[in-house]
Amino acid sequence: MPLQDILDRNVINLHVKGQNKDEVLRDMSRMLFEQEYIEDIDLFVKDIYLREAEGATGIGNNVSIPHGKCKAVKKIGIAIGRCEHEILWESSVEDDGWQQTRIIFLFCVSADDYGKEHLKLLAELAGKLGSSQVMAKLQKAESKDEIIQALLN
Amino acid sequence: MKFVGVTACTAGIAHTYIVAEKIREAAVAAGHECRIETQGTIGVQDKLTEEEIKAADCVIIAHDIAVGGMERFAGKRIVDVPVQTAMKNPKSLIATIEKKLSQE
Repeated sequence: MPLQDILDRNVINLHVKGQNKDEVLRDMSRMLFEQEYIEDIDLFVKDIYLREAEGATGIGNNVSIPHGKCKAVKKIGIAIGRCEHEILWESSVEDDGWQQTRIIFLFCVSADDYGKEHLKLLAELAGKLGSSQVMAKLQKAESKDEIIQALLN
Repeated sequence: MKFVGVTACTAGIAHTYIVAEKIREAAVAAGHECRIETQGTIGVQDKLTEEEIKAADCVIIAHDIAVGGMERFAGKRIVDVPVQTAMKNPKSLIATIEKKLSQE
């Protein structure tokens, strides 16, 4: 399965309006709900916070990668959001433990083991986020296509 | 130098793979060869071969949970760090290893 199979333009939003972490997580979860990736927003957000409690998901360069496994997930995927506001986020790379986040990759993963092929794609995508070249391109991306291109190259 | 390594984070969804790439990138940028095995929720990927382990000057283990198959590295120099250390500053991780190895 090629990497682009996991990237869905319908769950990319370049204008996430929330003004804090909770609002943007809910904005993006609503998008996953509307596109039928998840069947319960509250349950999904709750499991995201469970993972958040275990360690920071800010990875620097204004990027955060909240993720968790949730039984409300019907379809494995990833929501990508660019925020209109800077969002204060726990950081695993900044010395003081905080960063300002603009770009969010919200991993949508089911609690059971189904969909291994899709999980492999998410792993491959995560690997891309470790590349400084990809990070640089992401910062400059102005459209959904540019975001997708930054991740595929 | 030649490095091999294993990464494993708590959820096994994202950090395992991000940090693998960060270590690899930093090592290659410093002129080394580097192969990283990931142990995530989907299991082991890019499994290290016996030859690769044998040829390695150092084994980098970046993990928050127990890593499987540690017995493979018996007798090797092992650098064991939390995922966050490698996330935060992969360059200095590689530089520290270089320094350590050159002092031996």
